[in-house]
Amino acid sequence: MSSALLSVAGIHRTFGSGPAAVHALHDISFEVEPGTMVALVGRSGSGKTTLLNVIGGLDRPDRGTVTVDGIDVTALDEDGLSALRRERVSYVFQTFGLIPVLSAAENVGVPLRLARTPQADRERRVELLLELVGLAGHAQQRPGELSGGQQQRVAIARAIAASPRLLIADEPTGQLDAETGLSVMALLRGIVESEGVTALVSTHDPVMMALADRVIHLADGQLTT
Amino acid sequence: MTALLLRRARAQWPLLLSLLAVLTLGATLLGASALLVTRTSERAVEVAAARAEPDDVEVTAYTVTIAAADARSVAADTKSLLTSALQPFTATTTTRASSRMRILPAHTDDARSLLSEAYLSGVQGLQDRASLVGGRWPRAGAPLEAALFDNTARLLGLRVGSRVHLGPELGRDPAPALDLTVVGLVHPLPDAGWDRDPLNGTGYDPDPKDAVYADDVNAYGPFLVDLEGLLASGSALDRLEVTAHPDLSAPDGRDLDRLTASVLGADRRLGGTLGDRVQIERVSSPLPQTLLGDRSQQELTAGSVLALALIGIVLTAIALALAGRLTTGVRAEESDLFSALGTSRGQFAAVATAEAAILAALAVALAIPGSSALHSLLTHLPPLSGAGLAARPAVTLTQVVAIGCGALALAALHVGLAMRPTANGARRGRRELLARSGVDLLLFGLAAVGWWQLRAQPAGAGSRADAVRVLAPALLLAAGTALSLRLMPPLLRQAERLAGRSRGLVLPLAAFQAARRPQAFAAGLLIGLACAAATFGTAFGSTWTAAQHDQADLSVGTDLALTLDAPPLAGQSAAVGAATGGVLSPVASHNIAVGQWLGGSGPSPKLVAVDTRQAGLLRGRDSSSVADGLTPAVQVTGPFLAAGATPTITGTATRDTPVIVTPRLLLQDDKGLRTACNGPPMALDGRPHPLPGCVPVAGLRLVAVALPVTAGWEGQPNSAIDVWISVPGAAAAWTARSAAPESRQLTDPAVTAAGDRLNLRANVQFADPSDMSRVLVATTFADPGPVPLAISERFAADVSARVGGKLSLTFGTTPIEAVVTAIVPTVPSAPGEPAALADVDTLSRALVVRGDFDSPVSAWWAGNPRAGAAASVGDLHLGTVITRTDETARLTGSPLRASLPAVLRVLVAAAVLLLFGGVILHVACDVQLRALEVARLRGLGMSRRDIRAALLGEHSAVLLPLIVTGALVGALATWAVAPLLIRSDTGAAPVPPAAAHWPWAAEAALLALLIAGSWLAVAAVVTIQARRADAAHLRVAS
Repeated sequence: MSSALLSVAGIHRTFGSGPAAVHALHDISFEVEPGTMVALVGRSGSGKTTLLNVIGGLDRPDRGTVTVDGIDVTALDEDGLSALRRERVSYVFQTFGLIPVLSAAENVGVPLRLARTPQADRERRVELLLELVGLAGHAQQRPGELSGGQQQRVAIARAIAASPRLLIADEPTGQLDAETGLSVMALLRGIVESEGVTALVSTHDPVMMALADRVIHLADGQLTT
Repeated sequence: MTALLLRRARAQWPLLLSLLAVLTLGATLLGASALLVTRTSERAVEVAAARAEPDDVEVTAYTVTIAAADARSVAADTKSLLTSALQPFTATTTTRASSRMRILPAHTDDARSLLSEAYLSGVQGLQDRASLVGGRWPRAGAPLEAALFDNTARLLGLRVGSRVHLGPELGRDPAPALDLTVVGLVHPLPDAGWDRDPLNGTGYDPDPKDAVYADDVNAYGPFLVDLEGLLASGSALDRLEVTAHPDLSAPDGRDLDRLTASVLGADRRLGGTLGDRVQIERVSSPLPQTLLGDRSQQELTAGSVLALALIGIVLTAIALALAGRLTTGVRAEESDLFSALGTSRGQFAAVATAEAAILAALAVALAIPGSSALHSLLTHLPPLSGAGLAARPAVTLTQVVAIGCGALALAALHVGLAMRPTANGARRGRRELLARSGVDLLLFGLAAVGWWQLRAQPAGAGSRADAVRVLAPALLLAAGTALSLRLMPPLLRQAERLAGRSRGLVLPLAAFQAARRPQAFAAGLLIGLACAAATFGTAFGSTWTAAQHDQADLSVGTDLALTLDAPPLAGQSAAVGAATGGVLSPVASHNIAVGQWLGGSGPSPKLVAVDTRQAGLLRGRDSSSVADGLTPAVQVTGPFLAAGATPTITGTATRDTPVIVTPRLLLQDDKGLRTACNGPPMALDGRPHPLPGCVPVAGLRLVAVALPVTAGWEGQPNSAIDVWISVPGAAAAWTARSAAPESRQLTDPAVTAAGDRLNLRANVQFADPSDMSRVLVATTFADPGPVPLAISERFAADVSARVGGKLSLTFGTTPIEAVVTAIVPTVPSAPGEPAALADVDTLSRALVVRGDFDSPVSAWWAGNPRAGAAASVGDLHLGTVITRTDETARLTGSPLRASLPAVLRVLVAAAVLLLFGGVILHVACDVQLRALEVARLRGLGMSRRDIRAALLGEHSAVLLPLIVTGALVGALATWAVAPLLIRSDTGAAPVPPAAAHWPWAAEAALLALLIAGSWLAVAAVVTIQARRADAAHLRVAS
């Protein structure tokens, strides 16, 4: 039996039909070991986001299977997928994806609320995570009052709040300047090591590729390495 | 620009469609309102005129003292003038004339100084005013043919075929004698205008008022002859009247206005036309007042319709503002892009104007037929259909102008919103908050002024719709809603604090979103105001209807009222009771004089006396307690007299010259009606004098006897009288007294009853020339003392009366003492008048003990009558019948008022629609604006169900308080202004004052509809929103 946390096998995904059909993913297969950080690299339109959505259960492949922590994602129903995202897979979005009306602490607490964590435990965990990402002094500020880098740090703290097994980040530095992007990447790398989480990060950033344990190249919906 | 508009329209068609819907709804509402206040309003005046009672629109010209030579020309000129005054309406005229009195030689005795006189009358339409008893109707021709009242013929000993010689006229330049042939005997019909006959249709008067030619004058008549024959007979006319009835079956409003002015000037024109040919001339008609009253009522209703329509227009404007704001929000990115590409404000304005113009044009095109159809539909629904105002769809200039102006104004608002700079959210929020603070406070100030003005309006104010009456409701609702929005943030913050303690995400997220997201002020205002308008409209309709019922109840005073044309006769109770069923009471309703009070500028005080023992008789607010304390403790009883019984009177007097008594027996039936049997003068000579015809029906009791005592000048000044009246079973508790004890002309009154005889005794003096000072009265009841009265507040204010205070009243010519036992807001059947309520039994007793045996009863009231009672009573031809139901129907279903409930329905329906529209607009825009956010929640592992629950909770947390506070504002507005907006049909404050009426069931149903409808709308939208999170947006890409 494979020890991989993530196993992708023979994934196909096509949008549309007939002559206008777009083959976004074509026979994608790879595995990712636990506790590693994998960079998914490719040009715009290469299928990175579609692949991440399929892995996270946000989209369903036409063919193939995705297994996360021993669970066949492609066989899950809606409730199962929601549970998967609550308990095992979390996301970091390019545009941070914070809920504007919630404070930084409240945003970080969202996965914990979804898991119905007791209030005291939740507050402790949130405090710890904000300290981890260096935002302990910004707990009550709302996303609009934070810089882009700070928002992405909050997003990362939120993503690991519920201790997921797999962290998916879609171009997390895409909207950040180089310096801020570097610090965010360093944070991600540190969290992978300190929390033991497995990370799959799509990026154009060569620095990110350098920080990754492994790089997977995607072009026109196919793996190239 | 055209390409841009077309492409944008294709991409944003749902948004533009909603804008067009709001614009069209507002313009349609405006058009329908314009039609209601113009076309229907004008039609209402016409229908009201067409439905007016003939008596209310007839025009009568009275002329007095016309020489024989002028009779024909005066009649013709008067008729011609009336006919022309009623142009362009055709009119039918009826003429009646009475000649000057002539000597009736066959019944005149110069030796006894007895003069008998008679007169001729010509009455058009005689067949409708009298029934032929014998012979035939008189015809034109010589010698003159005449018909006589049957009782006149009996008195004169005439029959069909008799020839009558009438002597010369009395007065100057008398016309010569003439002969008549009696060809018919007739009986006058009730309510046929005989009250305008010189002898009031009685056929005989033993003491005519104008008798100056002899000591004893008997007047007989009329000798009814053909009118043309009378005019040609060479007789001078004592009176001539011509009555014209205009045909108003298909009137035009402008013609009615001209008619009013023409009739008002007819009196002056008649004087100029007739000149010296008549001594007195006058044109009298209720027509101008009827039509002016209709106009006043129409204006009053139009004002109320405008006030309610204005609420709808304000709602529409706010809905458009919301739609515009949401449109701006949705287009913000597009606008930013165009700005970045260098698009100028002028170009933005051009695009926005072009789009608004197209929307306005489309709205106008849709609203014109839409409003016509809506108006027509409304007129085909009750109450407008019942009021005869059903109309086919039509387009009027006023309607088109109103729609055009309304659509343009709303389109301009749209342009203004589109051109508003998209400032930074926080800055704009602060600026808007400041602006709102000013606007809502300004609205509140204006609303307070409007409310104060409404409160301060005089009770008898004119009926014209003023700006305050039109603006006040909309101002109050808008101000109340705007202010209530200030309550929302603290409420939501409190909810947020409580929800934050929850362990899960759904509840806190809903509360956080509701409390922290910048809610659209326009959306909140629209939803709150729509709910307030709907609840206010519903409650106002209920308040208005209740006020009409209250006015009708109090105005009639009971369920069915029969006002008698003549004093009641014995046996009438049974006939009326059989016709009405239910509870029946004789009623006395007369003007009274109070002490030395000379009266004020208003109406005279009125005394209304009813049988207060009858529960369920009185109607009107507080009627159940208004008669408390008025009922006498003991009922009156007395010996029964068998039907057809003939009491006899035997008496003696100690005076040496004849002493005469004119006995009056007072009989009471089982309904408490007391009628007097008046005997002829009879000498106390020891011989029995029968009183035939006193007991025409069974079931009558003898309850009182009056013996006015008279004697000549000669003889002893004093006399003892001893009178026996044969009455079967007379043994009862009788008491005797002098009707005028203060005069000392009749002393030692005594009465005893033994077996079948009633014995009355007294000592009489003849020093006082007034016969009224010597009336011996025996009754089966004691003197009731002061009559307990419940007096109206206005009466109390006029005479400064207090509870427990004594009042000296004069009822007819009889003084009675009264005591105030209660001061009530108003007296049934005398709304707002200075009036007093008494028990009719007590009043009758008080009058009887003072020798006044004339029945005070002038009406019958029936409570809980059987179905069809009004028609049955009408068939008795005893007088005028009015029912509470008819009066209510007149007030609520009158064509002049029916527009109000109709427009209330439109307002409520429009408010409900706009509320749902506002909710859908608000949440639907949320779908687009928050699609990504919802998708991310899915990405975080939130299930669709939880997302739906959170969104539903969030919207509920905003909508429910808005709907509840809107309902509270509607209730507050109902309480504050609804009663003040209601006026009576004369334009004065209604009596009783209108009271806010909150229809709990209807309001609960309305709120349930609003909440359920909003919830369904939100549920539908958030379901789509949650589903779209997967289908369209749930991708990690941003």
